[in-house]
Amino acid sequence: MNAAAMPVPTAATIDQVDWPSKNYLVVDDFVGVRQLLRESLRSLGARNIDQASSGGEAMGLLGRIRYDVVLCDFNLGEGKNGQQVLEEARIRNLLLPSSVFLMVSAEKSVESVMGAAEHQPDAYLIKPITEGVLLSRLNRVWHKKQVFRMIDQACAEKDYLRAARLCDEAIAGSRVHEIELLRMKARLFEKAGEPTKAREAYERVLEQREYQWARAGLAKIRMANGEFEQARQLFQGVIAENRYYIDAYDQLALAYQGMGQFEEACAVLERAARLSPNSVPRQRNLGQANLKLGNVAMAEKAFRKCMAIGAWSIRKTPDAYFGLARVCGLKNDPKEALQLLQAAVREFGAEHADIHLRAKITEGLVYHESGDYRRARKAGDELEEMLRLRPDRPDVATCMEMATLLFAVGVKDSPVELLCYVIRNNHDNPLLLDEVQKIFEKARMADEGAELIRSSKKEASDLMNQGVLLWKTGKLSEAVTWMRNARLAVPNNQRILFNAAQVMISHMQQLGYDEALAAEAHQVLLHVDRLLPGQQRFAQLMEQLAALKPGAEEVAGEAGPESKQEPEPASDA
Amino acid sequence: MDEMPQSNELFLFLASTAHDMKNSISVLSGTLEGLLAGASPEVDATYPQMAHMLYQTRRLNDNLMQLLALYKQVGKPGYPFDIEQLEVAHLVEQVVGLERMLLQSRSIALELDYDPHLIWHLDEDLIVGVVSHAINNAVHYTRDKVRLAVAEVDGYLEIRVEDNGDGFPQAMLDAGAAAMSGVANGVNFLTSSAGLGLYFSSEVAKMHRHRARQGSLRLENGGACGGGCFVLRLP
Repeated sequence: MNAAAMPVPTAATIDQVDWPSKNYLVVDDFVGVRQLLRESLRSLGARNIDQASSGGEAMGLLGRIRYDVVLCDFNLGEGKNGQQVLEEARIRNLLLPSSVFLMVSAEKSVESVMGAAEHQPDAYLIKPITEGVLLSRLNRVWHKKQVFRMIDQACAEKDYLRAARLCDEAIAGSRVHEIELLRMKARLFEKAGEPTKAREAYERVLEQREYQWARAGLAKIRMANGEFEQARQLFQGVIAENRYYIDAYDQLALAYQGMGQFEEACAVLERAARLSPNSVPRQRNLGQANLKLGNVAMAEKAFRKCMAIGAWSIRKTPDAYFGLARVCGLKNDPKEALQLLQAAVREFGAEHADIHLRAKITEGLVYHESGDYRRARKAGDELEEMLRLRPDRPDVATCMEMATLLFAVGVKDSPVELLCYVIRNNHDNPLLLDEVQKIFEKARMADEGAELIRSSKKEASDLMNQGVLLWKTGKLSEAVTWMRNARLAVPNNQRILFNAAQVMISHMQQLGYDEALAAEAHQVLLHVDRLLPGQQRFAQLMEQLAALKPGAEEVAGEAGPESKQEPEPASDA
Repeated sequence: MDEMPQSNELFLFLASTAHDMKNSISVLSGTLEGLLAGASPEVDATYPQMAHMLYQTRRLNDNLMQLLALYKQVGKPGYPFDIEQLEVAHLVEQVVGLERMLLQSRSIALELDYDPHLIWHLDEDLIVGVVSHAINNAVHYTRDKVRLAVAEVDGYLEIRVEDNGDGFPQAMLDAGAAAMSGVANGVNFLTSSAGLGLYFSSEVAKMHRHRARQGSLRLENGGACGGGCFVLRLP
């Protein structure tokens, strides 16, 4: 009857974590709550507790000190909100993998159920937070992190197949995390380009319960397979069940785009942006979708919103500036467009290598669209000069945009050179080749273009086939050298990059491990993953490479035999 | 459009005001818990008053949470709802973490009866809210004991909050039945003082669905302690 005899549940006391010795950061704009949380932490024995009253202040502290536990309110008044603090801390690697980030909010938050997989806190806490609740959640998060530690590590090393195997091992030992582990496993298989296995994991979840994210996962796999209509139905089912599952809207928009229904895609993005307006990527997509449809006013609104919320977000990009500049051009206001382009260069020049090029392209487009052909041509000439001064070329989308503009303003040689570069580096991508052909046709160069495509394609496949031939005839070292030179000639061709890595791995499998060669193969694979993430060959080669390392555990299970497999015969002949 | 029940401005205003009120309640209830932890009923004459303040603060918190949920249309697809796998031990731990000091300060014993390894799929935030509300309510009806029992019964997770008071009055039992059967025949359900809490709890119960079954709420008298029983069943 005496309250002192109050029973304490056992879960928290399984094995004690040394909470007193940890470093804590408390972020809340309300001083009363900060004091309260600090008192609660003190009664857990904590000694090192820092406080911040705003997102900016929190970032300053996070930049200097590695915290073990961050308690951050979602709503921080002016400036960054809690989610933006979390995103920036994760992207800038200011949190240790073992750090615990708890998001605090006044009520059950929409953010917790939106299904945006990236950058989730370890837990959401709802006020009022008592000492007992705090300790219980800290312990639970800690133990969960232990279960996921090895998996997260393998995932950070991009060895997705090993990470997926570790999920299976963890499921066997920890039934309470089965659903979360299956979700992780499904995501890993998605990243590893193994949709069938991802589907199996989602289906195992759905056998137990109707989890909307698993349903959405199945829909995504359908969509990746080109089954847009089926994907659309599934995503709409998810939204009907849970209107705040925002990820399903973004995916639904993609399904509509896949079917060529751009109006519908745009409408879906509008709805998503109304439900969750503070996402930089969503406002950007909305702006671009509207721009494509010619809805100038809607595009302007979205781009302006994107810039406003981007002010506090690490996820801001120059795209909104460029988009808005195009809008200004369409509204016949090239003066504001130029100011925006200057602002973009000023703000993003440091971290975006191609910013000057992209600003100049947009400038040309703005002048061209507003009918000032003389200035458009001048921008084209300046672009040509910029290209002459740099040896490398920007990404495919920028190359295509630039070639289109240059043709439009009457420049001929450099767009041809750009398009040939694109073909050499993507010689096995028929969709892209069609797009290139269309650009040639628009420039009244259909026949000439077709011939250029043919010869550029041949150039790339000859390079690749010679490497495969050397490898097949057992000349491994020559093959490695050949592929190294091929990479110099065509630096962004995914099949050549994959083959180069494969030949190096094969070399080590037969002639022994070599640290420099392993590092080179690793670098090549990471490069190809940046070009196009989620490819099956990437995951397989990463796994084979990791298994070569002396002391690495033997690759077990289903992926095993593949590690001795021959390189994919990559000849186009 | 279909997303917001009312205008966006009103919603933003309510959201930010609620945020502020929650902060105030958090500080109030945290401060009172701290004061009560450092005080003793034998020495401090104000102890019972502080305990009563904590009780009233928790009632305020429950009402605010329920009003917000109502405003956001709890029970409809527009309400943020997500289930996850949870060990019953963790559920109980959360509730105890919230309620310990309140019960202790009112000299009410808490009896726990659950299988710590039982795992269920539920919306933790909502269920913790419902169960702790039920315990706050039991504080009003009990003599000196509250029992929280969680078990699997006929394929459902049955969460019982029982007390050893005189039992719920008939009007309360009727309100419970009315809340479950819906607003249509709820003669004295939304007008009774317990109406909001019962409505919220029954909507949360009903949001939990699995295959053809859904959750439910029941009020009765008797149980292991002989008083009022709040029975939540989740598929």
